[in-house]
Amino acid sequence: MEPAPTRKTAWRKGLRNLGRHRTALVGVGILMAVILMALAAPWLAPHDPRQQDLSLRLHPPGWAEGGDPSYPLGTDQMGRDILSRIIYGARVSLAVGFIAVAISGTLGVSLGLLSGYFGGRLDDIIMRVADIQLAFPFILLALAVMTVLGSGLRNIIIVLGITGWVQYGRIIRSEVLRLRSTEFIEAAHSIGNSDLAVIWRHLLPNVISSAIVIASLQVARVVVSESALTFLGLGIEPTIPSWGGMLSDGRDYINTQWWVSTFPGLALMLTVLGWNLVGDWLRDSLDPRAR
Amino acid sequence: MRKAKPASHNPTNSASGRRRRDRRHRPRGLPTVILTLLLTLTIVLTLAGCGSPAAQEDTETVVTVLQGVDATTLDPNMHAETPTGNVCINLFDSLIWRDHDMKLHPGLAVSWQALDETTWEFNLRDDVTFHNGDRFTSADVKFTIERILDEEKNSPRRANLGGIETVETPDDTTVIIRTEGPFPLLLARLADEQIVPAAYTQEHGAQYLAANPVGTGPFVFDSWTKDDRIVLTANPDYWRGAPEVDTVIFRPVPEASTRVAELRTSNADIIVNLPPHEVASLKGATKTGVSSAPSSRVIFIGLVTTNEGPLADPRVRQALNHAVNVDQIINSILQGNGNRLSTPLPDNFFGADPSLEPYEYDPDRARALLAEAGYPDGFEITFDSPNGRYMMDKEVAQAVQGHLAEVGVTAHLNVLEWGVYVNKIMARELEGMYLLGWGNATFDADGTLYSLIRTGARFSYYSNEDVDGLLDRARSTIDAAQREADYQEALAIIREEAPWIFLHQQQDLYGVSTRVDWEARSDERIWLGDVKVDESR
Amino acid sequence: MSTYIPRRAWQALLVIIGVSAVSFFLIQMTGDPAALMLPMDASAADVAQFRESMGFNDPLYIQYGRFLGQVLQGNFGDSIRHNQPALEMVFERLPATAELTAVALLLSVLVAVPLGVITATRQHTLADGLGSVAGLLGQSMPTFWLGIMLIMVFSVQLEALPPSGRGGLEHLLLPAITLGTYSMATTMRLLRSKMLEVLGQDYIRTAQAKGLPERVVIYRHALRNAMLPVITVIGLQVGAMLGGAVVTETIFAWPGIGRLAIQAINNRDIPLVQAVVFVAAATIVTVNLATDLLYGYYDPQIRFTE
Repeated sequence: MEPAPTRKTAWRKGLRNLGRHRTALVGVGILMAVILMALAAPWLAPHDPRQQDLSLRLHPPGWAEGGDPSYPLGTDQMGRDILSRIIYGARVSLAVGFIAVAISGTLGVSLGLLSGYFGGRLDDIIMRVADIQLAFPFILLALAVMTVLGSGLRNIIIVLGITGWVQYGRIIRSEVLRLRSTEFIEAAHSIGNSDLAVIWRHLLPNVISSAIVIASLQVARVVVSESALTFLGLGIEPTIPSWGGMLSDGRDYINTQWWVSTFPGLALMLTVLGWNLVGDWLRDSLDPRAR
Repeated sequence: MRKAKPASHNPTNSASGRRRRDRRHRPRGLPTVILTLLLTLTIVLTLAGCGSPAAQEDTETVVTVLQGVDATTLDPNMHAETPTGNVCINLFDSLIWRDHDMKLHPGLAVSWQALDETTWEFNLRDDVTFHNGDRFTSADVKFTIERILDEEKNSPRRANLGGIETVETPDDTTVIIRTEGPFPLLLARLADEQIVPAAYTQEHGAQYLAANPVGTGPFVFDSWTKDDRIVLTANPDYWRGAPEVDTVIFRPVPEASTRVAELRTSNADIIVNLPPHEVASLKGATKTGVSSAPSSRVIFIGLVTTNEGPLADPRVRQALNHAVNVDQIINSILQGNGNRLSTPLPDNFFGADPSLEPYEYDPDRARALLAEAGYPDGFEITFDSPNGRYMMDKEVAQAVQGHLAEVGVTAHLNVLEWGVYVNKIMARELEGMYLLGWGNATFDADGTLYSLIRTGARFSYYSNEDVDGLLDRARSTIDAAQREADYQEALAIIREEAPWIFLHQQQDLYGVSTRVDWEARSDERIWLGDVKVDESR
Repeated sequence: MSTYIPRRAWQALLVIIGVSAVSFFLIQMTGDPAALMLPMDASAADVAQFRESMGFNDPLYIQYGRFLGQVLQGNFGDSIRHNQPALEMVFERLPATAELTAVALLLSVLVAVPLGVITATRQHTLADGLGSVAGLLGQSMPTFWLGIMLIMVFSVQLEALPPSGRGGLEHLLLPAITLGTYSMATTMRLLRSKMLEVLGQDYIRTAQAKGLPERVVIYRHALRNAMLPVITVIGLQVGAMLGGAVVTETIFAWPGIGRLAIQAINNRDIPLVQAVVFVAAATIVTVNLATDLLYGYYDPQIRFTE
C-alpha cells in the first residue's frame, strides 16, 4: 500500500488545487479579509468601538431613514457604532477561534495518537474520559470554570478549548487504528524506530491533515458557542466588541432594530463560510483518498 | 436485464460524461430511504400529537399569564419567590389584604388592634371555607404561623415572622399574637403570608399540599404540568364573590421575546418583565397594551465604603453621584420607566422624604470634588453587575461606566451570573462598586434601610453611628409618627453621605391584552380575583 | 467479540459514575444554594442554619459518600428548591425532551441524507450550491437566533404556528427545526465529504466499469460505506442535542430536562443537578454504546482490532 503523500507534495498539490478550486479562493479571500480587519482595526474603524453615547442609541444604518452616514451600519443599544464594533470584533472571533481550536486540536491529536497507538488500557481510559466529557453538560462545565476562574475572554477560550478535543481524539484514533492494521507501522519499527519516533515522525504527519480539516470545521462551532455562552449569561465583558456577544445582546431588538444583531450575524456567517470553504479545500488536497 | 456494456463503450469518467449520465439516471434508491424516514416521522408525530391537552370549552373565559419561571411549589409557606407567590395568592388568602393602593385592608381578618406594645388581637371572618369544604378557623392561622416559624421545617420565610413569640386562639374567630419586642412591621409581614388548612395539611403532609393545594382563595387548583402550565378554575363560593374569570392558566416562558410573541398572537393576556423598547409597539397594536406600576424595587450602585481607598471619602462618593447622568439613563435605556431616587427610599414608602432632591448631573462639580479629595486624575475601581436580573441591568451598568470614564474614574466592569454574584456578596468579596436591586414588599423604610445601610447588616458596606441609632430606635417602637421622623432624619444624613450612587425606582412593565382589565401592582403581584374579560375590547 | 459487550457495558457504567462524581464536585465549587434560596434580607444566622440543616457544612467527601449511598438506593434526594424528589422531577420532564430530540433528529437526518448525497454526486451544480448554502447556514447560525427568527416569522408575522409551549404537532415543528438544524448541517457536510471520499475509491470505479447503473453504485455501494462513520456521528448528535436542547427549550418554553438543568444549575440545586446529569449521561452513554456496537458490527476492521 502506498504511503500517504509526504507533507511537501501534499501542500504543493494543495496550492495547485487552489488555483482551480474557485470556491476555495473565495474562502481564502474571506479569511484574509477577516484577518486584515482584525489586524488593521484601529485604522479601519471609523469610531472607537467602546464609545457610548446614549443620545445616539439604536440609530438605523446610514443609508436608511433616520440614519446618520457617519454610522454606516447604525448604532447599538448603548449608542456605539456597529461597524467599528464588527471590525474590532474580528479580533475576538479570531482569538477565540484560533486559540481554542489550537488547544483542543493539540489535546485531541495527542490523546488520539496515544490512544490509538498504545491501545489496551490507555486506550480504554482515554476513550472513557472522552465519553465522560461528551456526556457532560457543557453548560455546567462552563459555569463551573467561570465561577472558579472568573469570567472573561481567557476563560471562555479555556472552556471551549477543553471541551473540543473529543472529536479530534476519536477521529485521529481511528486513523491510527487504520494505519496499525497495515504494515506501515511494523515497517517503521523494523528499521529501528522507537515508539516516540514512530508517533512523531511517521504517524503524526499522516494524521495531521485530518486534524487540520477538523480544526477548520471546528472554528465554526467555537465562534458560535461564544454566542451561546453570552446568551446563557456567561459571556465576556459587554463593552468588548465580539460578534457572538453582539448577536446575543441584540436579539431582543430583532423586531424593530434588526441591524443590531443582523450585521454581526452576517459577519459570523461569512467567516464560517470562509473557514468551511478552506476546510473543504484542505480536505480535498491533503486527504490522499479524495479524488 | 440490462446487457452489460463492453468496456470500450463505457462513457469515460470525464466531466461531460458524468453530466450526461447524471441527467439520464435520477437516483431512484433515494425515495426508499426518504419514505422510510417519513413513515417513522409520521408515527412519532402522531404519538406526539396524542399528548395535546383537551380543547377549551368555547364559552369559558380563560386568562393566561406568562411569567419567566414556573412555580417551585404550591405551598405558600415554603418559598420566597414572586412567580411562585403569584400563583399562590390566587389559591390562598392572607389575614390582611394589600389593595391596589398598597394600603392594608381586612382580609381573612376583619379587624385588628394592638392591645399593647407586644400583643396584637385579630378578629377573623366566620363565613369562609377552604376549597375542600373545611371551615376556616383560628386554628388554621395558628398552624400556618407556627409552621413558618418551625426551625425544622426550614421555611425560607421564617425570618419574616421572626419577631413572633406565641400565637393563641381563645376561640374560632380570635387570634392573639404576642411578639418578643415591639414588632411594627407585623401587619405588613402578615399581609404576605397565606393561610393553609391545618387539618388537610396535617393529614396529607406538606409535600402533598405542595402538589395539591387547598386554600380559601378565588381559584381552585385544577392541574399542574411541570414547567408547562398551572391551571386554576374559579371558586364559586369565594367569600369576596365568585371571580368573573372561569379559568386561569399560568405558563412559564423564560425568553422575553417569546412572551411578547405570545401576547401579540393573542395566546396570552398578561406577560411580565416587558422590555422597555417593546412598549411603543405593544401600545400601538390594537389588541395589546401596557400596564405599569412603580415597583417596590429600587436599583442602585452600592459603594464599598468600609475599605480604605477613594470610596471611604464622602466627597468622592458625592462626585460619583454628580458624574452619572441618571436622567439620561432612565430616559434612553429605560425609555422613561424609572423614577429618580435621591435616597434609598422611593417616595411612596413609609419613612420617605420627598423633599430631598436628587444629585444633579454635573461632571464639572464631580471633577472638582475628586480633585479636592485628592484624585485629580481619577482612579480605577472594580464594578460588579448582574446580568438580566433587573430590567436592563447590564446596559445601565455600562452606561454608568461610560459616564464615570468621562470624569476620569475607570470602572472595570464584571458582568456576573446571578449565582456567582450572590455568592460574592454573601462572602463579602465586593471591593468597589456593585449594582443591585432591592425589593421591599412592606413599603416600609425598615426593610430597606436596616438591611442595606445599618452597620454590620449583610448587605451593608457603610457605617454611621448616628444613622444606626436612628434606625434602631425606629425599629423598636410602634409609634408611627416617631418612626417617620427618625427615618426622615436618617435619610437626610444618608443622602449627604452618599453610600450609594442613587439610581432609580424601577417601573414594572407588563404587557396586557386589551380584553382583560387588569392593572399592574407595585408589589409585583398578579391577583385575578376581580379581573373581568371583555372580548369586544 | 464475546467479551466486547460486557466490557463496554461495564465501562459505560464507569463513565456514568465518573460524570456524576465530576458534576458533584463541580457544582459544589460553584456556590451556595442556601444564599440563593433565602430572601435577600435573611440574616447570616438564617443562612448558616439553613446550610447546616441541608448538610452542606460537612466535608465534601462525607457529602459525596452520603450521596453515593442514597444513589445506590435509587434516591437522589429532594430538590432543595422544589422540595420534591429530584429523580422524579427529571422523569416528569424526560418525555418532553425525548419527543423533541427524536423529532429533531429525524428531521435532520431526513434532510441531511438526501442533501448530502445530492451535493456529493452533483458537485458544482445549482443543487450542490443550494445544499452547501443550507449546510453553511445551519452550521453558522446560533441556535437561539434561529429559534427567535422562526418565532418572529412563523408565529408573529404569519400567525401559522404557536410561539411556544408543548402541545400538538404544531407546537413541535419550530423547536424541532431549531434543535435539528445544526445536526442536519454537520451530518450533511460529513456525509458529503465521506461520499466524495468513497466515490473516489477504486472499487467504485470497478463497479462503474462493470456497467452497474448509477443509482446502484451510489446507494448499494457508496452510501452504504459512507454512512458508517456518519452513523457514529449521528449517535454523537444525540449528546450534542441534549446540550442544545437547553437553549431551544428556553426559547420555546419547552418543558424538558434541558430547562430543568439550567434552572437547577442557576439555583445551585445540587440534588437536582445530580439527577439531571445522571439521566443525561446515562442516555448519552447508552446511545454511544449502541452506535459503537452498530459500527463494530458493520466494520470488521474495528471489530478485530479491539
